[in-house]
Amino acid sequence: MSGAAHPARGPGDRLTGLFWRRPKLLTALLLLPPLLWLGVVYIGSLVALLVQSFYSIDQFSGLVVPDFTLKTYAELLIPSNFDIIVRTVAMAAAVTLASVVLAFPVAYFAARYAKGRWKAVFYLGIMLPLWSSYLVKVYAWKLILAKEGIVTWAAEGIGAGNLLNAVLALPVIGGNSLSTSYIGTFLVFLYVWLPYMILPMQASLERVPTSMLEASADLGAGNWRTLRSVILPLALPGVIAGSIFTFSLTLGDYIIPQIVGSSRFFIGQAVYSLQGTAGNIPLAAAFAVVPIAIMLVYLTIARKMGAFDAL
Amino acid sequence: MHSDARPPLALTLAAIGGLLFLHMPIVLIFLYAFTTEDRSYQFPPPGLTTEWFAVAWNRADIWPPLYLSLRVAALSSGLALVLGTLCAAAMARARFFGRDTISLLVVLPIALPGIITGMSLRSAFAIGDIPFSTFTIVLGHATFCIVIVYNNAVARFRRLGASMLEASADLGANSFQTFRHVILPNLGSALLAGGMLAFALSFDEVIVTTFTAGQQSTLPIWMLNELVRPRQRPVTNVVAIVVFVATFLPILAAYYLTRGAEETAGGGK
Amino acid sequence: MTPAVEFQSVSRHFGAVKAVDRVDLTIAEGSFFAMLGPSGSGKTTCLRLISGFEMPTSGAVRIFGEDMGTVPPNRRHVNTVFQDYALFPHMSVRENVAYGLMVKGVDRRSREARAEEMLALVKLDGFGGRRPAQLSGGQRQRVALARALVNEPRVLLLDEPLGALDLKLREAMQDELKSLQQRLGITFVFVTHDQGEALSMADRVAVFNEGRVAQVGTPEDIYERPATRFVADFVGSSNVLAPAVTEAFGGPRAWASLRPEAIRLAPGGRVRGTVTGARYLGAGTRLEVRTGALPRTPSDHHDGGIAVLVPAGAAVPGVGAEVALDWDAGALHLMGEEP
Repeated sequence: MSGAAHPARGPGDRLTGLFWRRPKLLTALLLLPPLLWLGVVYIGSLVALLVQSFYSIDQFSGLVVPDFTLKTYAELLIPSNFDIIVRTVAMAAAVTLASVVLAFPVAYFAARYAKGRWKAVFYLGIMLPLWSSYLVKVYAWKLILAKEGIVTWAAEGIGAGNLLNAVLALPVIGGNSLSTSYIGTFLVFLYVWLPYMILPMQASLERVPTSMLEASADLGAGNWRTLRSVILPLALPGVIAGSIFTFSLTLGDYIIPQIVGSSRFFIGQAVYSLQGTAGNIPLAAAFAVVPIAIMLVYLTIARKMGAFDAL
Repeated sequence: MHSDARPPLALTLAAIGGLLFLHMPIVLIFLYAFTTEDRSYQFPPPGLTTEWFAVAWNRADIWPPLYLSLRVAALSSGLALVLGTLCAAAMARARFFGRDTISLLVVLPIALPGIITGMSLRSAFAIGDIPFSTFTIVLGHATFCIVIVYNNAVARFRRLGASMLEASADLGANSFQTFRHVILPNLGSALLAGGMLAFALSFDEVIVTTFTAGQQSTLPIWMLNELVRPRQRPVTNVVAIVVFVATFLPILAAYYLTRGAEETAGGGK
Repeated sequence: MTPAVEFQSVSRHFGAVKAVDRVDLTIAEGSFFAMLGPSGSGKTTCLRLISGFEMPTSGAVRIFGEDMGTVPPNRRHVNTVFQDYALFPHMSVRENVAYGLMVKGVDRRSREARAEEMLALVKLDGFGGRRPAQLSGGQRQRVALARALVNEPRVLLLDEPLGALDLKLREAMQDELKSLQQRLGITFVFVTHDQGEALSMADRVAVFNEGRVAQVGTPEDIYERPATRFVADFVGSSNVLAPAVTEAFGGPRAWASLRPEAIRLAPGGRVRGTVTGARYLGAGTRLEVRTGALPRTPSDHHDGGIAVLVPAGAAVPGVGAEVALDWDAGALHLMGEEP
């Protein structure tokens, strides 16, 4: 018999020995490339964004002046810019509230009643729209909401054409057709971000033990009462987690209002046009910081309410 | 209410209605690819034809964006595969200081709206005077694809457990042999799933891309231009179908690759 | 002779937790050595110190006299049968068994031949082509055993080897492991929390408590002459007597243990008492006897009473009966305080 230890064969064994003696070395080596990438590319870029937002643009030459100033942020407060922010936040809030209402039955059914095969159907049924092409989904709604499209056709088919016209005649939210109104923008946002609300909601509902519902029923609570005083509070962390997605995604989107909506800007459109044709990168950067700031406030509140346990 | 109780009818209808709401619009994309009307979105289509597939095939302006999208998606998912797996491996090894910070850092590019990632990169390119190229697009895409691979790999590492790796070492394998003979075969399907999801995500991405592409056109950017200034509308539908299928198939494959496990592919998007 | 494994004042601390605390241990070559203790007592950590998955915070682990301080697990001539078996799910049974040979670079033909030999040794011939998932728990364990033994380890480590098996299989495996060890002549070190398993299989037992070794000895030593209250309490179900009780039972004022089977029911015995409970065990009946004059013993197991084992066939008094207890002079075993 040989000794108590085999000799080291080649560099593989020697490195293994080194990693074994210094386990942190291997962890550090594994982490180095991804951290370097995320640190340099991503964090570096975020810093660049912040830096740019404190620069300003020379009114006459149109060139970026690389000196620290708060002038650009002050520009956000002039009425035309501030309106954009208010409009975007209002839309994000409306989309979030509506998606909670729409998501609940799907999430509740999937969490509580879908078993076996149906569970898979629901899972895929939520996952596929979530993952399928964003642009294709938006395009589909351009087809649906067009003046000559399926909604108008259906409304006239059931004799509700006048109702549709009446809705479109409403001030602010109405418009020439659904695809050029805030109602249209709202519907597309709602559609595109809905799965982001369903999933965390379902996850938190699945954690509600059935026994707890039975206990509530045993105590004489009706279905509605059980829903209101037991299920909804327990689903709240999921709702908040989902709202983080719907809120932040709406804040930062610029494709949807560009394709379906009125000509009035949302934050995303402002950022995009400022950095592009207008060439005002500092103001674009300052605009892009707004959703970050809003989300930071939102996340702080959400964390206090325990939303992150449901993620 | 009991666990085996039948759901109330209203709830069932609402749930199925919700699912239909999520799926019906896609059907219209397919329908409009066959319409004979190419100047408006008239419903119902006045007639049906398959000519738009041939027209799309022969449109020279579609092919370069398709190639660019494929190249970007392949490069980005490849990079994300390496970086995401390394990160997951490190996180599986031990609890260490700063773990939560790292997982936040990985998730951040996808948790923050695309416009922030896009505008940040744009700001960095402006400061660094970096010209737009395929590379600048890949830089953005790989960054937000890392988390997709990472999520899949982390779940599988968790399932693999420490004792299997210890058993390998115990039987005489060094770290590299353990990686090749134990980790890789067990991680394989999760990595494949993660890679495919990353590919789908990158192939379809438009928001970040518009900030990092400059004058280049990926397929989604081509589509976006067609949406703003439509020419032959059904051709756009044909391309939309291509994009839909190119993202749908990898997602479905990823689902079947990771099915039955605790992990859920794509849960992190 | 150089001992197979030697612990020299070995400690392993996890932060403030002293999982293993200044342990000295010698395991002779060719022995069947059990590390016995409740969970969290440090026995598994000691096993992992031998295999190399833990590094001592201080002290030295030697295998055949060689300090393992710089030797990683893959180079130690030691193999482990893991508690959950840790078979590779993506490999066939044969590939699992041949794994150790493969990573050493043995060619396919000879390593598969060796694997088949090993499978025959553990009575799994013909199972080579299956996947671990297709095997029963007992079969998986044999594969884990074969996979470890194919490397001809000088020490085989077994972590709770029988823990996951049902009772009948467990007894069969006990005999099998014992005879395998005698046939191969390899040093076996196994970890268990089951004192019956440790006593029946091992020829030496170390009892662990709170990171320290409470006693090392033959099963007989441990059972008959527990060194501490903890050992007496943990190994079997001895009566642990507080100093005052020992004194009342005719001994000195010191902690002592008195085994239930060493006590006889005999008219005119040393101590009188009342039967408060009886439990039929098959091989006998275990009586709880309250010896009224005595102070409560502090042990949880003996709620103020003394346990007496009445062998099968003897007359069993009913609950409430007055009995007298007697034992041989040597049965009262005195113990030291906890170290």
